[in-house]
Amino acid sequence: MIEEIEKYNPREEGSTIWINIPSNKLHEILKKLKEIGFEHLSMINITDWIDKDVFEIGYFLWSSKYKKNIVVKTEIDRENAKIKTSSDIWNESAAIHERELHELFGVEFEKNNDLAPLFLEDWKEKPPFRKDFDWHEYVRKNYYDNNNEREKAYFDKNVTKN
Amino acid sequence: MKEKDLFLYELPFGPAHSGSGNFHVKIIMDGEKIVEARADPGYLHRGFEKLMEYRSPIQNAVLSDRICVLEPLSWNLVHAEVVDKIMGYDIPERAKYIRVIMAELTRVQSHLIWFGATSIATGFDTGFKIAIGYRDYILDLFEMVTGGRVYPAGYIRPGGVRWDFPDGFKNKCNEVLEKIEKGMASMDKILFKNHTFKLRTKDIGILNKKDVSILGATGPVARASGIKMDVRKDDPYEIYDNLEFEVPVEDEGDAYARFMVGREEVNQSINIIRQALREMPEGSISVKIMPFGKMKEGEAYARIEAARGEAGMYMVSNGKSVPYRVKIRGPSFLHLIPVLQHLLVGSQIADVPLIHWSLNHCPADMDR
Repeated sequence: MIEEIEKYNPREEGSTIWINIPSNKLHEILKKLKEIGFEHLSMINITDWIDKDVFEIGYFLWSSKYKKNIVVKTEIDRENAKIKTSSDIWNESAAIHERELHELFGVEFEKNNDLAPLFLEDWKEKPPFRKDFDWHEYVRKNYYDNNNEREKAYFDKNVTKN
Repeated sequence: MKEKDLFLYELPFGPAHSGSGNFHVKIIMDGEKIVEARADPGYLHRGFEKLMEYRSPIQNAVLSDRICVLEPLSWNLVHAEVVDKIMGYDIPERAKYIRVIMAELTRVQSHLIWFGATSIATGFDTGFKIAIGYRDYILDLFEMVTGGRVYPAGYIRPGGVRWDFPDGFKNKCNEVLEKIEKGMASMDKILFKNHTFKLRTKDIGILNKKDVSILGATGPVARASGIKMDVRKDDPYEIYDNLEFEVPVEDEGDAYARFMVGREEVNQSINIIRQALREMPEGSISVKIMPFGKMKEGEAYARIEAARGEAGMYMVSNGKSVPYRVKIRGPSFLHLIPVLQHLLVGSQIADVPLIHWSLNHCPADMDR
């Protein structure tokens, strides 16, 4: 096991190690992991835990030296969600994941200077991958007509509950 | 604006260019030389990660086909694996062999599209017709097994596979592999060893070894730059640790090296399929699953070596019948944005389609 993460109660399953760390330690630990050989950042994920009012951010790393995946997770407040960028550690490969997540979840990655919209065009609503974005409502408002015989069914709440 | 900037002009490559796929990259040109490139994805953004939050795993297995049209079975596989891990399914040995055979056939047909499209990018139509023609033999196999030529409708599904190979599959598969070998031999002659093709692809779009992890390249792109990384060897899944195969590596890092890595991978895949067909045990092909039952609470992460690089999926379940969150890592997301932007700067306009296709990209798995 890797000693840098020992004190955070790592959980090992197969070739993957999972750790949860406080958000103020995140940058420091990611940096250390990169230094000891976790050179490949597979992806960054955000899970919207709306009931707990937090975003969980996960970094998926791979080391060819240790032959291990590490998933480093931390939680940040949902309101005014901000976290320091990891693009100074994994450069462009981290920056592009952050750009995507900024668009889809609205999380601010501080000091990442390229958070321009990526997939969506002229998007003015709430970030669409958040759990409180009601896409049924959005689609009804923008694409369906209540007076149209064929599209009426979409306005029936019993049909489109979910 | 500086006086010099007056001579710069903007050129859109895509989204309606035969070489680009549904993808647009904005290129700033100084004469024939590219000074800046900015990728503009989103033409195929369907939001699979969100769609999957509303569907049960068995429905998501079908949905996962659509993540990348060029290799649907690879995405079936990574989805099935991540659900298997959450649910704790112990996959029967025979199902693992079937999964690997289908995944490797997918790799071969995906590479054939790659070589075909490359031929078009070099203005060489014959190569395209040969490659796509031979790919059709593999589609015949897919039709025989899954019922669909391109989309297998979630053939590789959580718990195993949907049904067993039909009678006569083994012989037919061996015949097809022989045909593919023959096809690749003629591709060697007319494409890979062709002097003009070499002139067009050597020393363009060079990706240095040190830039591979910076830009997040994986798969054939990383291997052509001298990085020996392959999920099948490094972090084996299914039965890959029982199989013997080589991971081809080239050092040059140019477009030609990437094609040659892909070329050799076809040989290795054929080799893997033959081994798997030979050693495949009898037995059941799936564990018993509850198609619309509740999922176990928990999280899992799976990654596989798809034809274009590392494909990953992360799933969180909170005990409902649908996942709470799914995150998908498409290899082309990295290849088409940071890697392509990096490679295009400084190259010539005529090389754009070739550099673009040498990355073996798929706009569908970039946008997801």
